[in-house]
Amino acid sequence: MTILSSAVGTTYKVLSVANEEKLGRFLSTLGLIPNELITIISKAGSNYIVNIKDSRYAIDTALAGQIEIGAVTPNSVWNH
Amino acid sequence: MRIVLAGNPNSGKTTLYNALTGQLEYVGNWSGVTIDVKEVALKKRFGEGKVVDLPGAYSISPYSSEEVITIDFVKAAQADTIINIIDTTNLARSLFFTTQLLELGIPMIVALNKTDILMDKLDINVLQKALGCPVIQISAEKNENLTKLVQMARSAKNPATTVQLETDQERFTYVDEILQGVYIEKADRTKPTAFDKLDRVLTSKLLGLPIFIGVLWAVFYLSQSQFGPVFSDMLSVYLLEPLTASIDGLLTGMGISSLLHAFVIEGLLGGVSAVLGFVPLIMVLFFLLALLEDCGYMARVAVVMDIFFKKIGLSGKAIIPMVVGTGCAIPGIMAARIIENENERKRLCILAPFIPCGAKAPVIALFAAAFFSNQSWVAPLVYLSAIGIIFVVGLILKKIFTIGTENSVFIIELPQYKIPRLTYALRHMCDKGWAFIKKAATIIMVCNTLIWLLQTYDFSFNVATSANDSILAAVAGSIAWLFIPLGFATWQLVAGAVAGFIAKENVVGTLAVIFAVEDALLHEVGGPLETVAGLTAVTAMAYMFFNLFTPPCFAALGAMNAEMKSKKWLAIGIMVQLTTGYVVALFINQIGTFMMTGAPAAGLIPGVIIVATLIVVLAVLFKRGSSERTGVLVRK
Repeated sequence: MTILSSAVGTTYKVLSVANEEKLGRFLSTLGLIPNELITIISKAGSNYIVNIKDSRYAIDTALAGQIEIGAVTPNSVWNH
Repeated sequence: MRIVLAGNPNSGKTTLYNALTGQLEYVGNWSGVTIDVKEVALKKRFGEGKVVDLPGAYSISPYSSEEVITIDFVKAAQADTIINIIDTTNLARSLFFTTQLLELGIPMIVALNKTDILMDKLDINVLQKALGCPVIQISAEKNENLTKLVQMARSAKNPATTVQLETDQERFTYVDEILQGVYIEKADRTKPTAFDKLDRVLTSKLLGLPIFIGVLWAVFYLSQSQFGPVFSDMLSVYLLEPLTASIDGLLTGMGISSLLHAFVIEGLLGGVSAVLGFVPLIMVLFFLLALLEDCGYMARVAVVMDIFFKKIGLSGKAIIPMVVGTGCAIPGIMAARIIENENERKRLCILAPFIPCGAKAPVIALFAAAFFSNQSWVAPLVYLSAIGIIFVVGLILKKIFTIGTENSVFIIELPQYKIPRLTYALRHMCDKGWAFIKKAATIIMVCNTLIWLLQTYDFSFNVATSANDSILAAVAGSIAWLFIPLGFATWQLVAGAVAGFIAKENVVGTLAVIFAVEDALLHEVGGPLETVAGLTAVTAMAYMFFNLFTPPCFAALGAMNAEMKSKKWLAIGIMVQLTTGYVVALFINQIGTFMMTGAPAAGLIPGVIIVATLIVVLAVLFKRGSSERTGVLVRK
């Protein structure tokens, strides 16, 4: 599934980001890489507000549809 | 000794730079405010040395054009020491860049900024050991630990770490491992906060846009209808008018020739004092904009505007250059660098100057006073029209330059809200006010004086019997026919509009010089603009819009040229802006005059021909644009 079918307030695991090379690389420097956690904070208008590595980002539906996410399995959660 | 400040966007580099150097560089609470390399000497109390402020970057591998500058600069190793500034509330992402910087092998200090708003507890010694370079907590806003930071930067040694990491994933894993020991206590930022609720309101589909319009309206209402005019009137009544009157008296007492007398009072002082009267208005505007830009709201506005700007092939980030542009078009055009896509950025450089800047505010204020008895709807109407014009022209540009308008996705960081700093806003306000005064006393004064000479002498360099026989009347009059369809073909108005291309304040200054009346009289209903220049409410509106929507000023064209890096695009930009200003004024005059008087305005037929030609040209360009697009799609 992608972020488009995510539930607000839930944390997911990033599986893959389907995007052209340049933007994909940029997103990975923000921490949007496989196995990282992404939390859906809210859905506002046609945008999603997400939390990646302690930062809030707004992303549009086009990008949300390119981010494949999956349920968090217990051993993928990294706690401090 | 050259200290380079590097770090993620919005980590506080420029705030630190200002604190270390005493400069007043532009800061704002969103990613990508700094778009150029700046270098200046340290404040005396920090000792000898220079500080370089770089645009923010998330990584050594650049993404947007402002990031490229950062990386080039850091890589070229022109730095003796790097101070890596970290927004401590985003430690993991910041350290990603830190580990890359360490690999460059340049002496480095890590400065943990924004620790005053931090909810976590950190063990700095662990971090220091793991990174192999000194770490210090500072607050750039509150001037905490800055002397110590500079001392540490002076004695910094090459970083001790030798890790080489290949992929981003490896790097994040490495950072996460370090952080496990660093966090003593960590707040869970995945839980929604009160600010998230605020975000939900400010970016909501229903309320986002009305709130933004409300905020903008408040900024313009306060600066242009409330505080601005009050302070402007006080300045005119208590300073500028008595000053001119006393100089007037002095010159009369000296018994100098009436021509020289007129030169000083009307030429040198008349236009400049008309322009200077607006200094308070500009200052209030910049004060409010500084508060707005500092609090973190602008990134939310970008989110709200994204769906609208997508329709014209731009991203929501395009609103930031436009809001910055309400102060001055030049930083506005430069702020277009936050847009990654090149075609998009160029189109934005053409569109952004349509937003009336501070220098256009006097033009709006003059006509609002002289023809619409200062009714409060005039200024908001102008800004609303500007937005409308941006959308129409933006749509046209998108249809012509279709390549590169597809597959753009939108992502923007939402910085934490903060209380805007009054001291910064006040300093910023004084700085801009002073810049406006300097401009009035130089370029504007020279232009006005030139205008006065040209309207006083005829071609044989004798004093013309009437201004209508002057050089200015002849030159401006020779192109006045161009403006018949727009309703303002008198030479005085044409001269004002042409002088406005140099700087928009010149429109007001030139009219003040030509009509050689006191500032107050120029602003009055039934003043010379109506009686001598023959403007009606409709043609005054057309003239005002022509001045607002044609190319902004020489300096802004220079900025467009620098940003677009292409003479072809600069030419396209100027053409688009000239055509827009002309056509808008044409429509206002022809439709307005017909509605008010029931009779067609002069120049209706040429006007129709011009519009028809434009439609044909656009149709051809659209067709070419869409065939280029299909061509690209087929090749793919």
